[in-house]
Amino acid sequence: MRRRIRILAQRLRSIFRKDQMDAELHEELAFHFARLVEESIESGVGPAEARRRARRLMGNTAAFAEECRDQRRVGWLHDFYHDLRYGARMLRKTPGLTAVAVASLALGVGANTAILGAVDHVLFGQIALPDADRLVVIRTYPLDNPQQNNNASVPDYLAWEKQNRSFEALGASLNNQQDFGADESGASAERLAGQHVTPSLFKVLGVEPILGRVFAPDEGGVDNPVRVIVLSYRVWQRRFGGDPGILQRKVRFGGENWSVIGVMPPGFHYPHETSDYWLPLTFNRPQLQGSARYFMVTGRLKNDVTIGQAQLEMEAIASRLAQDFPSWHGGWGVRVQSLRDAWFGWTRQPLAVLEGAVILVMLIACANVATLLLARNSARRAEFAMRAALGATRGRTVRQLLAESMLLSALGGAAGLILAQFGLNALEAMTAPPGAARIGDLSLNYRVVGLTAACSILTGLMFGIAPAIAGMRSRNLAKNASARGCRQRVRGVLVAAQIGLALMLLVGSGLLIHSFVRLVGTERNFDPDGILSFDFRIPIQQYLNGVGSYRGFPASDVSPPTLVLQRIYERLRLLPGAESVAGASFPPVDSLVVPSMRIKLEGRNPDEASAAYFLVTPDLFRTMKTPLVKGRDIGSGDTAATPWVAVVNETAARRFWPGEDPIGKRLTLDALSGERSREVVGVARDVPLAYAHAQSDPVVYVSYLQQPARYYGHLANMFGQMTFLVRAKGDPLKFAASAGHAVAEIEPDRPIANVHVMNRYGGDFVRDRGRRAIVVGVFALTATLLAAIGVYGVMAYSVAQRANEIGVRLALGAGARCIAYLIGRQALLLIAAGVVLGLAGAAALMRLIASQLWGVTPTDPTTFAAVTALLTVVALCACIIPLRRALRVDPAATLRSQ
Amino acid sequence: MPKPSDLLQGTLDLLILKTLSRGPLHGWAVAKRIQQLSDDVLSVQQGSLYPALHRLEQQGWITAEWKDTEFGRSAKVYSLTREGRRQLARELDNWARLSSAVQLLLQRA
Repeated sequence: MRRRIRILAQRLRSIFRKDQMDAELHEELAFHFARLVEESIESGVGPAEARRRARRLMGNTAAFAEECRDQRRVGWLHDFYHDLRYGARMLRKTPGLTAVAVASLALGVGANTAILGAVDHVLFGQIALPDADRLVVIRTYPLDNPQQNNNASVPDYLAWEKQNRSFEALGASLNNQQDFGADESGASAERLAGQHVTPSLFKVLGVEPILGRVFAPDEGGVDNPVRVIVLSYRVWQRRFGGDPGILQRKVRFGGENWSVIGVMPPGFHYPHETSDYWLPLTFNRPQLQGSARYFMVTGRLKNDVTIGQAQLEMEAIASRLAQDFPSWHGGWGVRVQSLRDAWFGWTRQPLAVLEGAVILVMLIACANVATLLLARNSARRAEFAMRAALGATRGRTVRQLLAESMLLSALGGAAGLILAQFGLNALEAMTAPPGAARIGDLSLNYRVVGLTAACSILTGLMFGIAPAIAGMRSRNLAKNASARGCRQRVRGVLVAAQIGLALMLLVGSGLLIHSFVRLVGTERNFDPDGILSFDFRIPIQQYLNGVGSYRGFPASDVSPPTLVLQRIYERLRLLPGAESVAGASFPPVDSLVVPSMRIKLEGRNPDEASAAYFLVTPDLFRTMKTPLVKGRDIGSGDTAATPWVAVVNETAARRFWPGEDPIGKRLTLDALSGERSREVVGVARDVPLAYAHAQSDPVVYVSYLQQPARYYGHLANMFGQMTFLVRAKGDPLKFAASAGHAVAEIEPDRPIANVHVMNRYGGDFVRDRGRRAIVVGVFALTATLLAAIGVYGVMAYSVAQRANEIGVRLALGAGARCIAYLIGRQALLLIAAGVVLGLAGAAALMRLIASQLWGVTPTDPTTFAAVTALLTVVALCACIIPLRRALRVDPAATLRSQ
Repeated sequence: MPKPSDLLQGTLDLLILKTLSRGPLHGWAVAKRIQQLSDDVLSVQQGSLYPALHRLEQQGWITAEWKDTEFGRSAKVYSLTREGRRQLARELDNWARLSSAVQLLLQRA
């Protein structure tokens, strides 16, 4: 032990007190020398002769002093330092090479680090819930479409809860949105997102409120709604100023007074980042028999149960249920996912696509830098031979070369770290699909920085090893001729590989961009520019009375608040600057509306069809600038008292009455008593129900004033809500405030919500796709550029090597055409090899990104052809300068030099 | 007179350790002592002595400090550490085994 400490002290001293130790060594040898001299003088020799003898006796002092230094065992460190300094000088001498190498490495390392950072966060990041690894989400899926992810129905949940032995507890939750009324603390009315939850959910999550309590078991009974609410810390602070007396207060919630019974700790927003309040989930009778799968079920695994075991047990329960109650459970499977998977599973595909692209770029960058270094090293042959002659060992030469590679990769890594920060910010902004979680805050933590370091060392080795080995070989000048040929072949292979990899990337990005263009270019038949959109809603309780159920859905008496909606509509039309105003029961695009409304078509067999269904005010089509193909719009003359009418879209017209004129045809909604037959008075162009939809669905538009008084179905809320669209002159957002005031004049307790300017490209889904396509595109262009540099390098080198041959050929009468053929054949072979490699790789790999494509197949021939042409042209351009150099070879000069 | 490089590998270390076991010495004195004690048969060259001293120092068997000498200038004086003594014992053992083995071989061959 003491010896180890002593050795350590020695080593440290050798590193940090090198100069002093060298001085001591010098002094020690000088002492010895002095003794030798004095000894000679004592034996009677003259001083000059004595010194000469002593010097002879001492021998090669410099050599054994070096041997003494070698004993310190830290020589490699000093050597390494010198290698680095020398390497830095070499890099400075070739700034172009250094810049290309560092930039491509920085891009590769930076992007790689960012993506791995995100993966790290997704896989290992903290979930702010106690023992989160035991939390699972239980979902269902139709057996005939296992990719689909559905939540659970109430019968599912209740049966699971009763029968399972795998979970400590299960809890269910249901998305909710509600309006908080203007508060005495001064906060104005606003709509927030929250959750209906079973009282057991908080037990499952293991989170305690910081104030008050959560729900008692009897607050979640059947048909036992109690007006108690739990708030998030965020809302408590923001809306209620952190009022410590909040538990004694009632808050205006959905137009009623509710008691706040608890406040959750900061940062608790289960299950979504937007969840700001929790209400007891009270199942009503119809839900108990319903098969609607809206409820998210969260469970906590018992300590000794794995997800796999739970999955097996749940499958057994599901198949038993399907047998016993086929009408509720038949045809549905069950899936147990970890909470982490449920939240972050969606990132897998995009991250994998990006990582794949980055790996390709990294490989190209490595191959590229390797070829550049090989080329430079062949210019340093004389240097290596000289080093060998001076006694440098093989290891020493390799170490020198690796130090240079490491220096390059370290520079690349440092620059990559900066890029990684940007990359992380971009990844953070990825939009999560409904029901999943955002990636969350990504930052450069020690793990990410460690990854960067590892990445750059790895790349340094990858591109450094080939040149180092070649460098080792070229120590012997005599063997150089054969080594050169071999190296040239290695470079050819490396460059062909670069072309192949670049082509694979180009195909990938081409497909993504092609699919994005399809997505954006789809005709949506409306003009979103200049439209302000916002939602208004009156809570469903105020106009709906349950009257039993029909076809498994709750049936209700409706007394729609049409008067309020009408007054708001009329008021908005008076706003100065509003060109046109309209409302629809749901946002016309990207709402949850699906074509599921049953419709009876009069005089047609079969007479039943289904369509999406909107209640609208007059002027909807004028406001959206959606062309009417035939007939007329719903007008202000269409009221409850006049004959009921409908407008259909083109798809509905084509499907319902193929080959016939739809105008004048009649349809009836499959509703309860009070529904009347409606005459089709107009046909509008298709507006897609969702931006991401490639196909069109049939849609029926009817007036919000022509409605029955009894309704069944799960979209009863459409009677009390309206998405208003205001087409305004100038910036529509400036309109938001006056629109808000106008609504407040009529309904002070109810805010307008989801205020936004409509977007041509349909929000986050398309934007994310676009960003991803652009990022992969940038990678692909970088790769192409690198490959072109590689082609240039290898061709330029080849021309330089063959300058003599070319000169002789010219002297013997070969024409420019012949020389061009000579050089061109080599270039074409190189490019063709790369292209074949790339096409094969792309055809094999692109299946993997099929799910990221939209309206384009993974083997889309147009894309393949286009990017192949692009790459070939770029690669050929890279050959122009070497070719011109070849043509300019002066035969006279060649002959003179021979 | 054999050159030090002819000495068996590791023997020089043994000689230095043994020489230092009587007390601290500087490099010059170590060389002189080895020469004297071997009746001038063994002469250690500087080119071997100093690397060996530095190696032993780096390995922690001996330690060094600068001390004034009778020659009027200070010198680097080496002394055995406690671990060095143990190492000397081990090396003596090895040497005894080796030399008796060589002896046996020479007698019997």
